[in-house]
Amino acid sequence: MKNNRIRNVLKGLSFTSAMFIFQACYGTPQDFGYDRLVEGQVTSETTGLPIKGIKVSVAGDNSYYVTTDDEGKFSFYSEKEENVLIGFEDIDGDENGAFRDLFKTVEDISESVYLEIALKDKL
Amino acid sequence: MISLKKYAFRQFKKLETRAHELNYLFWECTTRCNLNCIHCGSDCAKDSAFKDMPLDDFLKAIDTIEDKAPNFTVVFTGGEPLLRNDLEQCGKELRKRGFRWSMVSNGHLYNRERHYSLLNAGMGALTISLDGLEASHNWMRNNSTSFQKVVNAIELAASATRLNFDVVTCVNQKNINELRQIKDLLVSKNVKAWRLFTIIPIGRAANNPDLQLSDKQFVELMDFIAEQRKAKDIDVKFSCEGYVGKYESLVRDSSFFCRAGINIGSVLIDGSISACPNIDRSFSQGNIYTDNFYEVWQKKFQPFRNRSWTKTGQCKSCREYNDCQGNGFHNWHGNKQNVLVCHHQKIEQGSV
Repeated sequence: MKNNRIRNVLKGLSFTSAMFIFQACYGTPQDFGYDRLVEGQVTSETTGLPIKGIKVSVAGDNSYYVTTDDEGKFSFYSEKEENVLIGFEDIDGDENGAFRDLFKTVEDISESVYLEIALKDKL
Repeated sequence: MISLKKYAFRQFKKLETRAHELNYLFWECTTRCNLNCIHCGSDCAKDSAFKDMPLDDFLKAIDTIEDKAPNFTVVFTGGEPLLRNDLEQCGKELRKRGFRWSMVSNGHLYNRERHYSLLNAGMGALTISLDGLEASHNWMRNNSTSFQKVVNAIELAASATRLNFDVVTCVNQKNINELRQIKDLLVSKNVKAWRLFTIIPIGRAANNPDLQLSDKQFVELMDFIAEQRKAKDIDVKFSCEGYVGKYESLVRDSSFFCRAGINIGSVLIDGSISACPNIDRSFSQGNIYTDNFYEVWQKKFQPFRNRSWTKTGQCKSCREYNDCQGNGFHNWHGNKQNVLVCHHQKIEQGSV
């Protein structure tokens, strides 16, 4: 703690910006951590069983999407923003059952979020 | 008498060296490459003598790290990292362990699909090389389609607000007169940060005079960077490759401090433990296949943390030594009797 204080004083006196973060000459800039992990599981509201093949994406941006695996699980990194709308869409027709799309708003901006999603059967 | 600023920075460096907190780790995950660049310091080739390092081997090494620094970043380098098909899996495993990760790429294979899959796997920073306008870039990359591909890659990377992205340019005889146009191109592509290098004469670059700047051209480069930094339309800086004397405060955010072996480590393709990958491989401090990685980091690395041995050759009597300390570590190759490039000397001679 004491060493850190001395270090910061010296850093200040040498006009090394408090925001300065080094990068190796042939390396990349530092990762500032602007993303967060979104993971979870999608199941059927009727049977409670996991659903495979559901498209999970940040609504409005079709670029960022994954599909659920055999256990209905998914995970991806997304922008760390408030009120992100995550879409769950059945894109494979009747192949793994037919379900209604669902959109869920994630309000907080924590480092990671786990979502348990139950989809209704398509009428 | 030295200024308070210089004195404080020297003391700051001493404290940083004593603490030697590892927070930036290069992983030379492949030495395969899809290009055959004429300046390559690694002498990479399509058919590397080494197989890609298995992810599990690397994970075993970094799992020895006991006190992980905040914002610890693993930097994938090569070779060309994008040739690995398991890059996303590598990234996810690192994020699971609380490490951040980033990548240095030539951009040739960086397409839309890969861009999103890498972001989905938690990539947080990226550096792509652009070495000139079309003719000069393609000359250096030894490939007639490289420029178009890298410009596409730059557009994609610059569009991702979560990515801390910069472009690097190796300045040489063919592109030194294009710097303003390159800058305009980058600004038009919404690039926020641009780092400029010179090429040290190692690897394939050792025997190509077109790749080296004259002393006068080096001063021109310093003046260009200093001037562009005032404009603030893009964050232009000189890389931390060497000590640049009177230009120190004009071309970078902070004074020169080579952190190789102090905060920067590496795991090289054969398992060697070292600092930046362009450092002479004879400086390797151990090997992940025979040593405990973190123990090596904590207990070895003496030549990196006590650089008094560099006070030899032209550095021996240099009045700037206390601030330069033998220049960037990668400038010590071969018999190590003299520094390979002295940026300060280039400035002195080029300013006459």
